[in-house]
Amino acid sequence: MARGVLVLIEHCEGKIDSAASQLLAIGQRLAEKLKVELVAAVIGYRHDGVVRALQSAALDRIVAVDDPRLARASGEVQAQALGEVARQIKPRLILMGYTLAGMELAPAIAARLGANAFTNCVGIDAVDGAVKVTRPVFDNTLHVEIALEGDETAVVALQKGAAPELKPSAKEAPVERLALDLENFSAQSRLVGVTEEPRGEVDLTKAAIIVAVGRGIGGAEKIRLVSELAEALGGVLACSRPVVDVGWLPRERQVGASGKTVAPKVYIACGISGAIQHLSGMRESKRIIAINKDPNAPIFQVAHFGVIGDLFEIVPALTKAAKESRPG
Amino acid sequence: MNIVVCCKAVPGLVTEVKVGADAKSLEYQGQLLAINECDEYALEEALALKRAHGGNVTVVTMGNIKALEILYFALAKGADRAVRVDCETSDARVASTVLAAALKKLDFDLVLTGTQARDTLGGQVGIAAAALLGLPFAYAVVEIQMASASAVKARKELGGGRYAEVELSLPALLCVQTGIQPLAFVPPARRMRARQQSVASFTPADLGLDPAALAPKGYRLVDVHPPQRSHRVEFLDGTPQEIAAALISKIREAL
Ligand SMILES: Cc1cc2nc3c(=O)[nH]c(=O)nc-3n(C[C@H](O)[C@H](O)[C@H](O)COP(=O)(O)OP(=O)(O)OC[C@H]3O[C@@H](n4cnc5c(N)ncnc54)[C@H](O)[C@@H]3O)c2cc1C
Ligand SMILES: Nc1ncnc2c1ncn2[C@@H]1O[C@H](COP(=O)(O)O)[C@@H](O)[C@H]1O
Repeated sequence: MARGVLVLIEHCEGKIDSAASQLLAIGQRLAEKLKVELVAAVIGYRHDGVVRALQSAALDRIVAVDDPRLARASGEVQAQALGEVARQIKPRLILMGYTLAGMELAPAIAARLGANAFTNCVGIDAVDGAVKVTRPVFDNTLHVEIALEGDETAVVALQKGAAPELKPSAKEAPVERLALDLENFSAQSRLVGVTEEPRGEVDLTKAAIIVAVGRGIGGAEKIRLVSELAEALGGVLACSRPVVDVGWLPRERQVGASGKTVAPKVYIACGISGAIQHLSGMRESKRIIAINKDPNAPIFQVAHFGVIGDLFEIVPALTKAAKESRPG
Repeated sequence: MNIVVCCKAVPGLVTEVKVGADAKSLEYQGQLLAINECDEYALEEALALKRAHGGNVTVVTMGNIKALEILYFALAKGADRAVRVDCETSDARVASTVLAAALKKLDFDLVLTGTQARDTLGGQVGIAAAALLGLPFAYAVVEIQMASASAVKARKELGGGRYAEVELSLPALLCVQTGIQPLAFVPPARRMRARQQSVASFTPADLGLDPAALAPKGYRLVDVHPPQRSHRVEFLDGTPQEIAAALISKIREAL
C-alpha cells in the first residue's frame, strides 16, 4: 500500500483542539481518494480520553506516545517526538493545524525529516492521485496552488476553515502504543507555565455590534472617530493587532488569532486589510461590513457588505446617520 | 550577549504576479524593498537587550543586492555589523538551510528572527533554521528576559489571549512578534551616514553549500490567482451620506 496520511492531534487539558476534527475530516477524504491508510498520532501524558475520543473517527489506526516527559514539553521536545513518530510511520502527508502550536511545530518537524512544509494552507485536495495544496502569499492578496511531486513526506499545516463532514465509523480504530527514546532527546528548553491575558474592562465576545479599527486609521488621535461610531451604534470598539502593537489601544481590544475570537451580529471593519490572523478571529460574525480604500483588500473575501472608500469620509457620515436614526 | 537578527527585505505592493518558468517561484513587478515588519521589531528587541546586557548585534539578510537597503537601515538603527548572503529563494527548505549555514559562521548567544515574512506568509524559516542547528526555539515571542548568564526566559503566544513562559538555555533562537518593543524613529541623517559602513557578503559557496542544497524539490507551483470568495460581497456606492443610510439599514436588519 502506498504511504498514508498522518494527522497530528493537538490537545490541551484533555480536550482535542477544535482544528483536529476538521483535519480528521480532510484526512478521511484524502485517504479515500489516495486509497491509503489514515493514521492519527497523539503525544502527551495520560491522554487516554483524547485517544478514546479518536477511536470512532474512521481511522485505520491511532499511534499514541504516553510519557511523563511529554506532560509539559517544550516545542523543542514535542517536535523531536512527532518527528520520531513520523519517521516510523513514513507517511506521504502529515496534516496539522496552523494554530500557534502548529506554527511552531510544523517547520521543526519538517526540518528534522528533511521534508517540505506547506504552512498556512487554505486547502488541500487529491486529484488522480496527485496532491495539491492552496496557500496565501503577498499579504493574503493572492493564493498560490502547489502540486506535490514525488513520494517524499510533506508536512501540511492547514488554517481553520470550512471542512467536509467528519464521517464517524462503526468499528473502533486500534491503538498502538509507541515508546520513544525521550531520554536521548535534546531538551534545552522547558515550559515554565501558562498564563492568561488579564480580564480587562470590556468583553468583546459578548458584544452584539463590534466596530473594529485597523492600521488604516493612521494615528492614535484619530481612533476617536471610530470609537464615536461604536458608541453611536451602541457597539464596542475593537481593533487589529498593529493598532495595539503601536500602543493606540490596549491588547484586550485585539481581535484575531492571538487576540479574541468574536462572532457578533454585526462586525464593522474600518481600515483593516483582512490578514488571515485577523479573519480567524471574526469570520464567524453574522454580518460583516468592511470599509477599505483598497478594492483588493482581503477583508472583502469575508465581508457581506463592502464600501470601497476613505474611512475618514464614510465613518463620520455613518456616525451621524446612526445618531439621527437612533430611536428615542 | 551577542545577538544575530535575521531580517528579510520584502516588496510592498506587487503586480503582474505569475508562476516563474522554474515552477518553483513567483515572478512579479514589485515596488521598493523594505524590512519585514516583525523583523524590525526583532531588531529593536535585540538593540534593547544589548543596551541592557552589553554584547553586539549582527543583522543578516539573504537576498540580492537590493536587500542591502535594509542592512543600511539596520546599521542606522544601531546594529554593529551587517552581513548579506547573496542568494535568492522563496523556498523555505532552501532558505533555512542557507541561513543555518550563515549562522554557523557567526558568533552568537541568541538568534532573533521575525514570525512571518509578508511575501511568503510561511512563518517557517526561523524555526526550521533552529531545528537544523539543534538550537532550542520559541515562536511568537512577545517578551524576552535574561534568566541567568546562560539562559533566557521568553513569553510566547498560544493564541486566544494565552501565553506560555519558556526557559531556553543559550544559544537559542526566538521568533519575535510585532509589538515587542516600541519602534524607534531613525533620523534621515543617520540613515545617510550608515551607507558609509561596510557590509560583509557571503555566497552560498563561501558557506560550504553544495548547489544541490539550493534546489527546491518535491513540488511545482501550478497557479497563482486572487483568492476565491466564499460568497459575493455586495459593494455599496454613492455619496458618503447615501452609503451611510444604506449601511444603517443593513445593520438594523442584522440585529
Ligand atoms: C502569529 C501571528 C499572530 C497574529 N495575530 C493577530 C491578531 O490576533 N489580530 C490581528 O489583527 N492580526 C494579527 N496578526 C497580524 C496580521 O498578520 C496583520 O499584520 C494585521 O492583522 C494587519 O492589520 P491591519 O489590517 O490593521 O493593517 P494593514 O494590513 O496595514 O491594513 C491597513 C488597511 O487599511 C486600509 N486603509 C488605509 N487607509 C485607509 C483609509 N483612509 N480609508 C480606508 N481604508 C484605509 C489599507 O487599504 C489596508 O487594507 C498576527 C500575525 C502573526 C504572525
Ligand atoms: N531571506 C531572508 N533573510 C533573512 N531572514 C529571513 C529570510 N527569509 C526569512 N527570514 C527570517 O525568517 C522569518 C520567517 O520567514 P518566512 O518563513 O519566510 O515567513 C522572517 O521574519 C525573517 O526573520
